[in-house]
Amino acid sequence: MAGTRRLNRKKKDWIAAYLFIAPLTIGIFVFYIYPFIQNLWFSFNDVNKFNIATFVGLENYKELLQSKELWHTFGNTLKYVLVTVPVGLVLSLLIAALLNTKIKGKSIYRTLYFLPSVTMAAAVSMVWKWIYNDQVGILNGLLKMLGLPTQAWLTDPKLAPYSIMIVGIWMTAGYNMIILLAGIQGISRTYYEAAAIDGAGPVKQFFRITIPMLTPTIFFVLITSIISGFQVFDTIYMMVGKTNLAYESTQSVVMLFYRNAFDYGHKGYAAAISVFLFAVIMIITVIQMIGQKKWVNYD
Amino acid sequence: MKKNLKKLTALGLATVMCAALLAGCKGNDGQETETADGKTQLTIGIWDEKQRPALETMIETYTETHDNVEISIQTTPYKGGEYWTKLEAAATGGTAPDIFWINVLHAEDYYEGGILKDLSGAAEELDLDANFPEALISAYNMDGKQIAIPKDFDTNALWYNKEIFDKAGVDYPTDDWTYEDIVNTARELKEAGMDDGVWPFACPVDFQTWYYPTVYAAGGWILNEDKTETGYEDPKTQEGIQCWIDMVDEGLSPTAASLSETTVDTLFGGGQLAMVLAGSYMTPEYMSNDALDGKIDLVEFPEFNGVEPNIINGLGYAVYEGTKNEEAAIEFATWLGSSEAMKIQGESGTVISARNDTQHYFAESITEVNLAAYTNHADVANPLPVCKGAAELYDLEANKLKVAYAGEQSLADICKELKIEADALLAK
Repeated sequence: MAGTRRLNRKKKDWIAAYLFIAPLTIGIFVFYIYPFIQNLWFSFNDVNKFNIATFVGLENYKELLQSKELWHTFGNTLKYVLVTVPVGLVLSLLIAALLNTKIKGKSIYRTLYFLPSVTMAAAVSMVWKWIYNDQVGILNGLLKMLGLPTQAWLTDPKLAPYSIMIVGIWMTAGYNMIILLAGIQGISRTYYEAAAIDGAGPVKQFFRITIPMLTPTIFFVLITSIISGFQVFDTIYMMVGKTNLAYESTQSVVMLFYRNAFDYGHKGYAAAISVFLFAVIMIITVIQMIGQKKWVNYD
Repeated sequence: MKKNLKKLTALGLATVMCAALLAGCKGNDGQETETADGKTQLTIGIWDEKQRPALETMIETYTETHDNVEISIQTTPYKGGEYWTKLEAAATGGTAPDIFWINVLHAEDYYEGGILKDLSGAAEELDLDANFPEALISAYNMDGKQIAIPKDFDTNALWYNKEIFDKAGVDYPTDDWTYEDIVNTARELKEAGMDDGVWPFACPVDFQTWYYPTVYAAGGWILNEDKTETGYEDPKTQEGIQCWIDMVDEGLSPTAASLSETTVDTLFGGGQLAMVLAGSYMTPEYMSNDALDGKIDLVEFPEFNGVEPNIINGLGYAVYEGTKNEEAAIEFATWLGSSEAMKIQGESGTVISARNDTQHYFAESITEVNLAAYTNHADVANPLPVCKGAAELYDLEANKLKVAYAGEQSLADICKELKIEADALLAK
């Protein structure tokens, strides 16, 4: 008797809980899950501008995997991830550690570093586009003043990818810094006190206490920045035009997707590109989830 | 009791949020076709805010005699493909505007997508062949069906900054100029010594305003009749492109790389360019630029190879296949092609009206400058070459040609590669 009553009450709790999460779940279903499934379906179809789909089986994937453009843009994207993620992580860790010390105007610095993260990527890109401008940009102006040779920051095919990476790092470092800072502040002071009594200096403390204790946070930052690195789009879209000489060396996979879906109207093919990217990100994330057991410290 | 209250709150919150969500997705399924007082309601979709006032005047005039309709304007920016993305989504969902602007780049796709009404009846009523330029009619004629009424057209002309010419003591360009005159004058300007950052001319990798006019004037071609082959390997085609590359090589224009960062319009608008080619659609922007006030004028596109080069391209008014007010929509679209409507559009000075008898209003709208340069030889201008995958073809073309503009490879080599890839694209 008492058992069933408890069960009933439990059931009622479930209903309440489901009702509470319903708005979010419905939203996710309508705006994420359903489009995701539709996208998957589109990738096996030839879809015209008006979403009229004709089934073509694996044709899109066959064409995609043979296309030079995919591997070329994938190479660009991979390079972007391989540079921005490690550099961004080390940089934001460094800033977080510095901003955790007792310095004057700490909150001003924190705000300044976080500012790029709350600014629209499009606006950031426009500003950087002017900074990098080879004729009137302030960067070249500065170089000229110092008597150094000026650079074509956004049109030199070798240099432009790095110029874009710098903007990418600058934009995300603040957000990662805040997360890492929160992680650092969550580490109990007692470890540091004990280490200080044992004679460990600040550098040793950083590497022996802060870093190991911070690994769960670092892991999170690593996963999210790799994912967003593979999805790089807005800065490239805003800063590199079609007649730019650096066009080829800067195009990312998402740019390829965007052009095919919205400029050329090959929606089925574009869907296949996005599924390909999804698969790549998923595999890398799974590998990281397995790999984390070796280095992430959850104690 | 407390439990119940919690549950009630949850239920309430859930309902409110779901309702909000659903309201967001509702769209105009039950699209209003009639207003409260029984008038038929039409919507016209456009992308240029600058042309809105003229359209408002046209609607006002139209509704004076047609008091049973009410017409609203829906503006969506062209930039970034927003207009088309929205229109395509709306057409799929059955909620596109009754009448909308269309351009040649999208005409074929939209026709094949089955979202454009056949306006052949309206075309007959307007007697298109007698009243509109042939290039514009055929651009919107598919399989013998007229899918849009020509609205306006644009051609190109040579603008110049008098202040820079005066400073250098060089004579202004004239309507009878040739390509050689641009080159010689550019040299003179350069030798006369201009301010730092000021250039005599500019040659960006631009098809419609720069190299297509000269390609056709040189006797070259881009697409063959049945759109299965491209003409990049024809030496005449290359002659029409090379003439601009030569000017970059000679230092009479900023490099193409630098022009991809700072556009020619920015340079000319900032008084850093003595001469520039520009489409007629740039007129409102140049004329409203305070820094250029009273300092600029224009002449015809200089002759090339003894021919008046130009590319003519224009928009059309299309009627949505899924419109719920077919009769009223077609009637309004037909009126938009009438002399009365075209006159209002032309007088606004924003675009050149397509109808032959109303083309002159554009030139007369601003008398301080020689706007007739745009219309003088419109009758011999070539239509913009288009095909189904035109957007992709133009991208490919620009991507290849910029290498030749940068001087990294010869134009002949680039065109060889370009032809192979472009022909493959056409075969798709």
